[in-house]
Amino acid sequence: MDFYLGLLQIMGVHTLLGLSAYVVLLTGQVSLAQAGFMAIGAYVAAMLTVLSGWPLIAALIAGALVAGFMACLVGFPALRVHGLMLVVATLAFTEIVRLFFFNFDYQIARGSIRVGPLGGEGFRQIRYFPENGWTTLHVAIFIWSVVALVMAALWWMDRSRAGAVLRAVGEDEIAAQSCGINLTAVKVSAMTAGGAIAGLAGGIYAHYTTHIEQTNFTIMVATFAIAYPILGGLSSIFGTVAAVVFIQGFLIEGLRFLGDWRNLLFGALIVLVMNIRPSGLLDARTMATLRRLFGRREG
Amino acid sequence: MTITRLIASSAVAAIVTAGTSFSVNAQEREVKLSGFGAMSGVVRSFGINSKAALEAAADEVNKAGGVKLGDGTKGKLVIEYFDDRCNAEEGISVARRMASSATLVGIGPTCSNVAEPLFGILQKKVGDAGDSGLQFPVFTDVAIKVGLAKISDWAFRNVPDEGAMYRALFQWIKKTQPDLKTVFGGVEEDFAHSRATWYAVMKEVAAKEGFEVKGEAKWLLADTNFTNQAREARRAAADIIAISAHPFTTCGMLKEMGRQGVKPKLVIGLTSSSSLETLQGCSAEAEAIIIPTSFAPVTPEAQAAAERAAKFNGSLDLHSGAAYENIAILKSVIESEGVMAKPDTVQADRAKIRNGLAKLTETKGLIGVSKRTPDREAVKPFLFVHAKSGKWEVLHTPTN
Amino acid sequence: MLIVDLVQSIVDGLLFGATYALIGIGFTLVFGVMHKINMAYAAASVGGAYAALRLITLIGGPAWASLLIAAAVGGLFGLLIYWLCFRFIPLSNPLATLMSTVGMFLLAEEIIVHTTDGMPQNYPVVVRGILDLGEFMIRGDLVFVFACALLAMVILLYLLYRTKLGMATRAVSQQPIAAQLVGIRLSHVNALTFVVTGMLGGFAGALIGSAVGLLSPLLVVPLTIKGLIVTVIGGLGSIPGAIIAGLLVGMAENVFQYFRGVTERDIYVMLLLFVFLVFRPGGIFSSTVKRD
Repeated sequence: MDFYLGLLQIMGVHTLLGLSAYVVLLTGQVSLAQAGFMAIGAYVAAMLTVLSGWPLIAALIAGALVAGFMACLVGFPALRVHGLMLVVATLAFTEIVRLFFFNFDYQIARGSIRVGPLGGEGFRQIRYFPENGWTTLHVAIFIWSVVALVMAALWWMDRSRAGAVLRAVGEDEIAAQSCGINLTAVKVSAMTAGGAIAGLAGGIYAHYTTHIEQTNFTIMVATFAIAYPILGGLSSIFGTVAAVVFIQGFLIEGLRFLGDWRNLLFGALIVLVMNIRPSGLLDARTMATLRRLFGRREG
Repeated sequence: MTITRLIASSAVAAIVTAGTSFSVNAQEREVKLSGFGAMSGVVRSFGINSKAALEAAADEVNKAGGVKLGDGTKGKLVIEYFDDRCNAEEGISVARRMASSATLVGIGPTCSNVAEPLFGILQKKVGDAGDSGLQFPVFTDVAIKVGLAKISDWAFRNVPDEGAMYRALFQWIKKTQPDLKTVFGGVEEDFAHSRATWYAVMKEVAAKEGFEVKGEAKWLLADTNFTNQAREARRAAADIIAISAHPFTTCGMLKEMGRQGVKPKLVIGLTSSSSLETLQGCSAEAEAIIIPTSFAPVTPEAQAAAERAAKFNGSLDLHSGAAYENIAILKSVIESEGVMAKPDTVQADRAKIRNGLAKLTETKGLIGVSKRTPDREAVKPFLFVHAKSGKWEVLHTPTN
Repeated sequence: MLIVDLVQSIVDGLLFGATYALIGIGFTLVFGVMHKINMAYAAASVGGAYAALRLITLIGGPAWASLLIAAAVGGLFGLLIYWLCFRFIPLSNPLATLMSTVGMFLLAEEIIVHTTDGMPQNYPVVVRGILDLGEFMIRGDLVFVFACALLAMVILLYLLYRTKLGMATRAVSQQPIAAQLVGIRLSHVNALTFVVTGMLGGFAGALIGSAVGLLSPLLVVPLTIKGLIVTVIGGLGSIPGAIIAGLLVGMAENVFQYFRGVTERDIYVMLLLFVFLVFRPGGIFSSTVKRD
């Protein structure tokens, strides 16, 4: 049981990571900066609980705010460029953040040991959950409450005018601009929201793995952040959840019984899914079908 | 639609079957021990070797009649091996999977960056009811970063003590080659283990033994261009160059030193590099490099163990040798603590094993007796090997 | 001493940059023709080098022959990647091919790991020799890599601008629909682009293996990142731009390492890249303003 709850925790954090990229992808921008925002959220939140003794929720919110603020700052210059240029610019950002933490030491003495981030050695003993007696079940429920909150906010946004505006920019920037939409404002807002969600994911990540170091926030993590919404489909937030279940639940944990084939199939199945469902696991048509089915059952 | 449904349902089915396939046969008592480590990525060879060593050692125990359990019946060791892909989250997930099953001990992981978070989710102080960390013993064979076991009372390691090894090495050099006086370092900065080994071990020990340390050249784990670093080494003109790096960059640096004609009188390597990897990467350039290691087939036991591991398609080195030893250590702990290995005694058995491991002050290893420290680490016997025509050969066995 | 070291650092960096240039040419060419990025390119290139190393140790033969074998295998991989990651995915969906090539990247890397257990493999030296210029030193093999990059550029530019095939390729690149209307078969031209860039990639992979002296899965991610960087700095689709960008990136790395040390080196390289992209989004050779 403990194992499934642990897996649920991981899925929750990866869902947040995927959703952070989803918001940005809606505006048609591919951002590899999510791992950088995640790192910022992770370090800020962990330093607040471990070094300053803040309660967890306050620390997580602070981590998300700092990450969102950084996303806003980076968004203004970065979003001047498009397509592959933006991919590489955001990749550079993620690397800069990672290398910053690689060179970042801030330790204070607590009793006989020193705690805090120590460059390449990492930041150990972020044990808020076990120290406060949170069981795996508590942590899983907590994480999914956060995920549900974020999803509800995004779902509501998607249905409101804001969602329409984001998608309009994603579909055709020039058309959107001629309708009087302020492109920069929309894109930077999306980037800021995405950064804050990624920061939240990072804060939780730091606390359930209890140890963070620069190698946890690489380009590969950023790649998976965009992989979830792309694999899942951009027509709804549930696509991202489906993709997280597919990758974390099926490809990583579910295929364990295949032994060495698991690792080979990992990439191969991603290629296969993109070939048979280029618009994602839950594309617009599937969503429409689901909605119809759902509606019929209700009626 | 159908595909989505198919994938979703098979995902659920696969997770459920994989998670619940553990059943204990009442007739034949099984003692389940699980190994875990990296079976993919650049460190795949570590996982392969550890898995083979665990299986070979368990096979040997079973052939000799199995382990004696608390109620006098004989138990059979069963080994399972999980891949954590050297990833922290996956390592934690694997640990929870093991803790949710009938597994009594986890043996692993390969990577220190998995061991560190994993030890963090374990209960810190045994018996602390306010700490909800996992109560599951882990007995590490490979992850070697200095001082990890002190993170949790449930974490034990059987990895070499690098301080003792390099102290003995520098002492031996001073005695046998007194004309060597200066040391220059080469360090892989972004890997916790290699970095700590240079700054906290090699550099300090060399200075303490009276060598003049002329600085160090630094590089990163995946670097390929060593022109600046080799030039620094040439400028330093030290008698000894000590390289604290993994095989890929050790080889890269040695090759660049060759190109630039940097010829120190002696080259020392990182203990983890005394494996097949360095020989596959650059046996010509690594010729004569000296490395202290905690395993070589020098005793009859070690030779026999190496042959058995080879039958399970793995090679025994300082890391997998520790995995092999761990099985023997666990067998004696299981017998001395009266472990029952019944489905309803899993948690009690784990606590017994933890207590048993914590009590040990000495263990018998493949090349000699290891001491165990109060903070659950090992001080293992070691010897010095050097690369000689594409093979590791024993150079000297210190009396320790 | 300081000036000598600095100059030597710059020279070493520029020369090592030749390997980035060589891998960058392939990235930029696929982008130039299809307006798509092939994330699996560096992985397949290193894969080609692995295959060549296997074959050459198996059947024996001079080290330079491994370059040709790698080119042949690389071409085959290129075709495979085209069929598996591009052929059946609608071109109007750039995210899908981005993801399919990421999947291919993971697959290629894992195949390499499985065939060698992830252990580094020694790669024979193809070009031996060091030019000793008194105070300075120049690696012969890197000069050879640089010459190969120039040669590749000349051949590719000839193919693109002096042959019928090249004209078709450029037509597909500029106006895919119009090109189809005049009877050019899109999938043929695209497949051919992948074969040619794949051959170049395999060749580059083998040369890089020989320059580093080792093959390892550790090469794959840095080369992919370098390929992307070189593509955008050089200007999307520009072959001469890719070569200059490769050299510049190599030089920047070595100079920052010289002044700021290895742990901060890449921070400055990436900062420079970020600033460059934001202020000169078209790259060194910005030709037309493209939206993607």
